[in-house]
Amino acid sequence: MLDLFWVEFKRSWLYLRRYPSEFVGAVVSLSILFLLLFLGARFLAGPGADFGERTEALLVGFLLWTLTIFAYNSLSFGLSEEAQTGTLEQLFLTPYGPIPLFLLRNLAGLGTQLLMLGSIALVLMLLTGARLSFPPLVVLPILTVLIGSYGLGFAMASLALLFKRVQQLLGISQFLLIFLLQVPLEGSGWLAQLGYLLPLAPGAHLARQMMSAGAGLDWGLLGLAFLNGLCYLGLGLLIFSRAVRAAKRRGLLFGY
Amino acid sequence: MNAVLEATGLRKRFGSLVAVDGVSLHLAAGEVLAFLGPNGAGKTTTIKMLAGLLWPDGGQVHLLGQSPHQNPGALRHLGAVLEGNRNVYWRMTALENLVYFGVARGLRYQAAQRRARALLEQLELGAKSHTEVRHLSRGMQQKLSLAVALMHDPELLLLDEPTLGLDVESALRVESMVRELAQTGKAILLTTHQLEVAQRLASRIAIIQQGRIVLEGRTPELLGRFAGEHYLIETETPLSPAQLSHLRSLGLEGEGPPYVYHGDSDGLWRLLEALKPTPLKKVARAEIDLLEVFLKVVGRA
Repeated sequence: MLDLFWVEFKRSWLYLRRYPSEFVGAVVSLSILFLLLFLGARFLAGPGADFGERTEALLVGFLLWTLTIFAYNSLSFGLSEEAQTGTLEQLFLTPYGPIPLFLLRNLAGLGTQLLMLGSIALVLMLLTGARLSFPPLVVLPILTVLIGSYGLGFAMASLALLFKRVQQLLGISQFLLIFLLQVPLEGSGWLAQLGYLLPLAPGAHLARQMMSAGAGLDWGLLGLAFLNGLCYLGLGLLIFSRAVRAAKRRGLLFGY
Repeated sequence: MNAVLEATGLRKRFGSLVAVDGVSLHLAAGEVLAFLGPNGAGKTTTIKMLAGLLWPDGGQVHLLGQSPHQNPGALRHLGAVLEGNRNVYWRMTALENLVYFGVARGLRYQAAQRRARALLEQLELGAKSHTEVRHLSRGMQQKLSLAVALMHDPELLLLDEPTLGLDVESALRVESMVRELAQTGKAILLTTHQLEVAQRLASRIAIIQQGRIVLEGRTPELLGRFAGEHYLIETETPLSPAQLSHLRSLGLEGEGPPYVYHGDSDGLWRLLEALKPTPLKKVARAEIDLLEVFLKVVGRA
């Protein structure tokens, strides 16, 4: 399994090294997207508005959203592309089974995704003057968000496997992720209570608190966030394994 | 001999179309089975069921006793070149592809590297090891697909049109590789529309049409069975019109020489008696090639 992780890791770095324009394009377009959102918000707020700490909060939210999108999208895009190019069936000939292979592929792709995220963060900090504090422990809530995102990614990949063309749905559903990452858990209203059950929400809330407000790590909430992430990952894997069965029964692994 | 592949009663239906209907195949170590049929007969559907990529509606597949549909570990015994598919990543080099798929099939990283280099040399692709696949010719890509299937040294190879698109030299190289692999004990199931290739390589033939196996047997026996009804007869001296007229009443055909006799061996002996004492130059069973057998079987079915 370690060797499989290593070849998947090498594969993702090879693509990055061999096609740097795709990497630069993603950094530039995502940075421009944030600036448009940021400048648009400032324009709407009026010339005297000072965002202060809100800039940091916005930036943290945006970076987390970007990381979530990578985790959520990559498997579906990968499956659609491989079905189109004809390598998908060769992947399903692995004796490890497709789920372990795709899990490792997700993990192996994290390195390049984090490099991209770091580049976007640097560009945006330079352009907006925002300064992010990054306590090492914030990795833990971000990890819970990632786990949950992979779960949602597997659920979406099930649709990609069965219907192949899901790019439109993927594009639209990315905006649902913004909502999930911004659900407020403060207070005792029904939305806050519901928020603990929504995917990604507890971990995102915790990361936001730590990175933009300098709050300490709430271990209780972290445990809950892990539980939440693992539940959604389990659900995603369950849906994906059923989709694999359906695809094999209906002959959908080949053709596009 | 122990079966490397044992498939029994495979059935598959897509909506109202019955794609495969009760196909059974078995393959022992060292055997090459040519799995032939016209387009849409059910060859690829059957191959995908054998490889665990498509679940059958009925029947079972076992690779060395293990079902690929229930245990993905059974796929360690199988390598496949799938027709119409790319099989490899175009953005990676030949060597990178082999190492990737070798590890994905269960090899350790170092072992995959050694095996990949050896296979690239064997397939005369050594000079292209570090070339991205998209820059390789169609023939080289096809050879690389074969190398991917061989990386983990599986006992069973499913080769769906392995010589498609290859130039003559490459096709002959692949053909001799298939022969060598069979000699080393690999069981090989081969589909091809190039029937002369099938005839040269296959120890057994199975012809499928409309989802059913319509003919199966050992290659020489099948060819013999279909050729058995025709004999070529040549005499040292020309036959007189009276002699010819008598012989024609016994079944001799053609304007000769050579003449053709179509019938069983008793009739042949009667004809030879009637030919006495004309000196004979040649009496031989007419040879038939796989193309003729295929056309007869497919036409009849």
